[in-house]
Amino acid sequence: MARAGGITNAVNVGIAVQADWENREFISHISLNVRRLFDFLVQFEATTKSKLASLNGKLDTLERRLELLEVQVGTASANPSLFTN
Amino acid sequence: MAVPVEEAIAALSTFSLEDEQAQVQGPGACVLAERGATESPIEYSDVSAYRLSLSEDTKALNQLNALIQEGKEMASVLYTYRSCVKALPQLPDSMKQSQADLYMETYQVLDLEMSRLREIQQWQASAASKLAADMQRFSRPERRINGPTVTHLWSMLKLLDVLVQLDHLKNAKASIPNDFSWYKRTFTQVSVQWHDTDSMREELDDLQIFLSTRWAILLNLHVEMFRVNNVEDILQVLIVFAVESLDLDFALLFPERHILLRVLPVLVVLATSSEKDSESLYKRVKINRLITMFKNDPVIPAFPDLHLSPAAIMKELSMYFQKFSSQTRLLTIPAPHELPPREAQEYPLIRNLRHYLIVNHIVSIRADHDDFTIRFASAMNQLLLLKSTVNADVEWSKEIKGNIYDMVVEGFQLLSRWTARIWEQCAWKFSHPCKDVPVESQETSASFSDYEKVVRYNYSAEDRKALVELVSYIKSIGSMMQQCDTLVADALWETIHAEVQDFVQNTLATMLRTTFRKKKDLSRILSDMRTLSADWMANTSKSESELHGGEESKGNFFFPRPVAPTASQVHCLQFLIYEVVSGGNLRKPGGLFGNSGSEIPVNDMKQLETFFYKLSFFLHILDYSATVATLTDLGFLWFREFYLESSRVIQFPIECSLPWMLADYVLESQNGGLLESVLMPFDIYNDSAQQALIVLKQRFLYDEVEAEVDHCFDLFVSKLCETIFTYYKSWAASELLDPSFLFASDNGEKFSIQPMRFTALLKMTRVKLLGRTINLRSLITEWMNKVFRENLEFLFDRFESQDLCAIVELEKLVDVLKHAHALLLTDLSIDSFSLMLNEMQENISLVSFSSRIASQIWSEMQNDFLPNFILCNTTQRFIRSSKVPLVPMQKPSVPYANPNFYCGTQELNLAHQSFARLHSGFFGIPHMFSIVRLLGSRSLPWLMRALLDHISNKLTTLEPMITGLQEALPKSIGLLPFDGGVTGCMRLVKEHLNWGTKSELKSEVLRGIKEIGSVLYWMGLLDIVLREVDTWHFMQTAPWLGLLPGGDGQVLHSQDGGDSPIVSLFKSVTAAIVSKPGCPNLTSFSTLSKQAEAADLLYRANMNTGSVLEYALAFTSAALDKYCSKWSAIPKTGFVDITTSKDFYRIYSGLQIGYLEESVQVSSSNHELLGDSVAWGGCTIIHLLGQQLNFELFDFSHQVLNVAEVETASTTQTPRNPHFVQVWEVLIELMKKARRLNNHVFSMLKARCPLEDKTACAIKQSGAPLHRIKFENTVSAFETLPQKGA
Repeated sequence: MARAGGITNAVNVGIAVQADWENREFISHISLNVRRLFDFLVQFEATTKSKLASLNGKLDTLERRLELLEVQVGTASANPSLFTN
Repeated sequence: MAVPVEEAIAALSTFSLEDEQAQVQGPGACVLAERGATESPIEYSDVSAYRLSLSEDTKALNQLNALIQEGKEMASVLYTYRSCVKALPQLPDSMKQSQADLYMETYQVLDLEMSRLREIQQWQASAASKLAADMQRFSRPERRINGPTVTHLWSMLKLLDVLVQLDHLKNAKASIPNDFSWYKRTFTQVSVQWHDTDSMREELDDLQIFLSTRWAILLNLHVEMFRVNNVEDILQVLIVFAVESLDLDFALLFPERHILLRVLPVLVVLATSSEKDSESLYKRVKINRLITMFKNDPVIPAFPDLHLSPAAIMKELSMYFQKFSSQTRLLTIPAPHELPPREAQEYPLIRNLRHYLIVNHIVSIRADHDDFTIRFASAMNQLLLLKSTVNADVEWSKEIKGNIYDMVVEGFQLLSRWTARIWEQCAWKFSHPCKDVPVESQETSASFSDYEKVVRYNYSAEDRKALVELVSYIKSIGSMMQQCDTLVADALWETIHAEVQDFVQNTLATMLRTTFRKKKDLSRILSDMRTLSADWMANTSKSESELHGGEESKGNFFFPRPVAPTASQVHCLQFLIYEVVSGGNLRKPGGLFGNSGSEIPVNDMKQLETFFYKLSFFLHILDYSATVATLTDLGFLWFREFYLESSRVIQFPIECSLPWMLADYVLESQNGGLLESVLMPFDIYNDSAQQALIVLKQRFLYDEVEAEVDHCFDLFVSKLCETIFTYYKSWAASELLDPSFLFASDNGEKFSIQPMRFTALLKMTRVKLLGRTINLRSLITEWMNKVFRENLEFLFDRFESQDLCAIVELEKLVDVLKHAHALLLTDLSIDSFSLMLNEMQENISLVSFSSRIASQIWSEMQNDFLPNFILCNTTQRFIRSSKVPLVPMQKPSVPYANPNFYCGTQELNLAHQSFARLHSGFFGIPHMFSIVRLLGSRSLPWLMRALLDHISNKLTTLEPMITGLQEALPKSIGLLPFDGGVTGCMRLVKEHLNWGTKSELKSEVLRGIKEIGSVLYWMGLLDIVLREVDTWHFMQTAPWLGLLPGGDGQVLHSQDGGDSPIVSLFKSVTAAIVSKPGCPNLTSFSTLSKQAEAADLLYRANMNTGSVLEYALAFTSAALDKYCSKWSAIPKTGFVDITTSKDFYRIYSGLQIGYLEESVQVSSSNHELLGDSVAWGGCTIIHLLGQQLNFELFDFSHQVLNVAEVETASTTQTPRNPHFVQVWEVLIELMKKARRLNNHVFSMLKARCPLEDKTACAIKQSGAPLHRIKFENTVSAFETLPQKGA
């Protein structure tokens, strides 16, 4: 064979290629959507994380405030005589 | 029930995924769906389906690809190889007998490492022979098999590159021969006991030769290649291919470009070293073209810290290749380090220098970045718009998708160019170590490692800035593109599909009809191209006619299909185009497409060429996320294996680490524009950790990266917080400066600060670091909570180490801190300032009213202020007495702190300090304001109570002393006679008032009276300040409470019995809201109105506060009651006792004249010790005892003044002794002054604590005054006063 080319059975190959295009369309469609699903999950995780983080920050603040109040109440109830009059 | 995938995915977009966090980091996780299109995922097994007789080629191709893969792994083994010898233990003398065991152990350890090297040796031998065989097979002139395909050519080049790299690495690593010689030594020791070691020894010798010969791999390859003499053709083809691809530079991403640049010199050497005509190469490629190419890129990156230089390689190889050494033109290209400095100034190098340094490109890069970002975003918006449009116009949709495709191509090219710039700048820097180490570093230059010279001191501030900027551009565009991966995927596929179909269905059809009609061979190839890639069914109805010949002149119109061609299709298409162009003849002269002797017209050639290069780029686009990941991978900036080895250290300090240098630079530079890129350098660590695990596959490298990141991030957080804190402090401090002062001052700008934006960083709740997620925001919050407390603590410490006058400074600094807190609070949720203040003041408890400041003020007053400060009545200020204090104060030294614990920057500190210095020398009204503001209504009463107790304590201690003085008073002292004149009077006074043995009590009593006076005057100041504050409050609350000014200074209530405005306002609001239906929480509004009522009550009750001074006077008066009988005896006769009285006023009068006289003699020393407060103390006691009139009548100095007056009147004519006159005149002046002061005090007291009317009532019928009756002098609060000790 001196030169390249010369698909031996051009018509058959052409039909197969055509079928291949169609099959691959289906595959691409599915794989793309799976990737989108995955993307969504990644993004969802990120968003949830930052929402949880802000919630955590608020809880922290509340906790500290509560601690302070507890201490204050503690000092007051340690000296009940001051409040019974 | 099945839901269509499309709908299900679309439903996901209804979730709201908004995120507060700004995008200030590079792309995080990337999801790779498949092995990637660039390397066919199924190893081209589908090629055979196209029946192009390429099976041989495919087999060879896969074999080469497998070798490339193995070779890369070998290279990473070699690159990460670290010397074992250094870690081997030495035996102490005592254990010499077990030397043999040690040898055995060492041998076993080293054997493992050496077996790897042996593997590399074997592998390279087989790879070389396989590559040579491959080349020979595919370059036979008779062409029995199809190929080599273009992909095959690429694989050859890549394998060659791997071999070159391995060779280069083997040459560069000094530790390998070292380890080997140690290994050999242990082998000779160990092998003594073994039999049959000959084969092992032989193997060892082989390995030794391999390791110690430079370029052993290339030499071996050369031998293998030229075993049969017909590889020149394929070498030439490779050279031509490489040169043309490099020249065109369109389809190449930087890794490929670097491969070609690395391989080219070696290819040239190999091609010219063959036996037969070496000049034939230059018929196909002009030598000048090669020389320019080598000169343009004098250094090429090979490994992260290892570079190649074509000139140096060729020079070195010429020693091994006899034929090549005649190529003098190629050999005279100067290697980068060989250039003499003078020449370096001239043409080629200066261009190179400019070319390699990013600083010289950053301006255009910045413009490119901005432009690209905008256009990309707008293209994305268009795409989103298209997706949301139903039944969009086909043309429009095609245009938008085509636009997206163009943007992606442009983006890849930008990223590739930028990342290549960083690689190349690194290589350049490595090849040009810094000559002169900056002088500011203390150590001598000898102690600098090479790595410091090439990295640490080799990047100027400008370089670092440009590098940070470029890194963040790369990372931000990378993450922008990564994010929309799945969004653009189908648009890209569709466009690529359309391009391919357009070419094979339209362009090729045209060509077939016109140019190639007559050429059967070529037209067969073209129709094959159509067969293997055309997608006819995507066509419109015309497809039928098109299938059968395609007579139509117009182009086909087809519906796009979102499917991309496979790697094999692209592979075959490229192969076929190459066949058409080259005619299947390797020896065809000239270039690939620039062929003059071809039968194909120029126009068609151009089209084929464009499509050919487009095809290779399609693959990168199909590998979208993998390509983005490769192009944004900057992990190489961290690796330094080569330098670690040559410097003989385990690891470099982080100051030498480029990523940290960049992060540090951003923080140090205080550049607001760079600040948001501060996290970008940490992406470099992410990349290098990824590389260590995935590419180099070395756990220990990952551990080192991790350790460094841990350390750096801690450092980073603390530095960042420090910067933020300083910034907010200075901002607050500069805002608190008086604006009119700033306006008037010449250097006002010095006190303003450069604005910086920390908002984005303060919102970072998830920083991605080595797969961990770090909540930066909470770290900063924690740090801020801590540092604010530390700062308060420091301010209090500082105040405690100074005297009471520093209270103004303290208040100022607390204000600055408070303002900084308020500014920071808008971006960060930190603890409230009052909470922190209370905490640091130890004032949290509900039942304690003292605080740290209050008790400090109290102890300061007790120990320093009252004894050592004197009052100046005229200026209303207390100043420190110039006398040495009786008890030296023990104070802690002033603590040291950074400028940011004061006001931020040095300049602002100076400005605020000069303000504070104005108030540091005295105590007056401003100080009292500060005290009131700092203590508040909570601790102020505590302090007042303490001071009042101090008065009563003082009185108790004074009592025995006064008694002592009373005893020392002579039985009777009559009125001073006028006949002796002033002199006689004074003599008489001296005679009577020498106090006998009790004279030492004198000063003690005076000091006591002075302290009482000081406290009372202090209360007076407090009263003034409180009045002002109360008035201020009243003005603010009055309109809300419905108080109106009436005539005659009366306050009227606007509504009688009704609600005050605030209550009625809130009530009506609540009523209005409750009446409206659909109000979410009614209770909160009714709570609001209840609270308004409470506020009304509280503020109304606070309205008429009494006077502090009056209260203090009443308290003193009550405290005096105990001593009333002793200090104010009721005369037995019932008449005013003139001569024998020993009442308090008498004592005080005696003391007063005594100290006035002393003042004259000892040059006003007593006054400086006592000040005006003695008068305040004495007169107050006299006033409260009801002896004011007695005092004014019988005061000794008063009497002396009377005598003096008479004397002056009578003796105006007779001249007198001048000295005598002078002495008495000074004394008389003093006495007059004292009288004035006393009168002033009495009038004040009369106004604030009137007693007269009551005294007046207490005159008996007989005319004798009823002394000291009980009277109610203040309000009922007085009755409830708990008396101390009662």
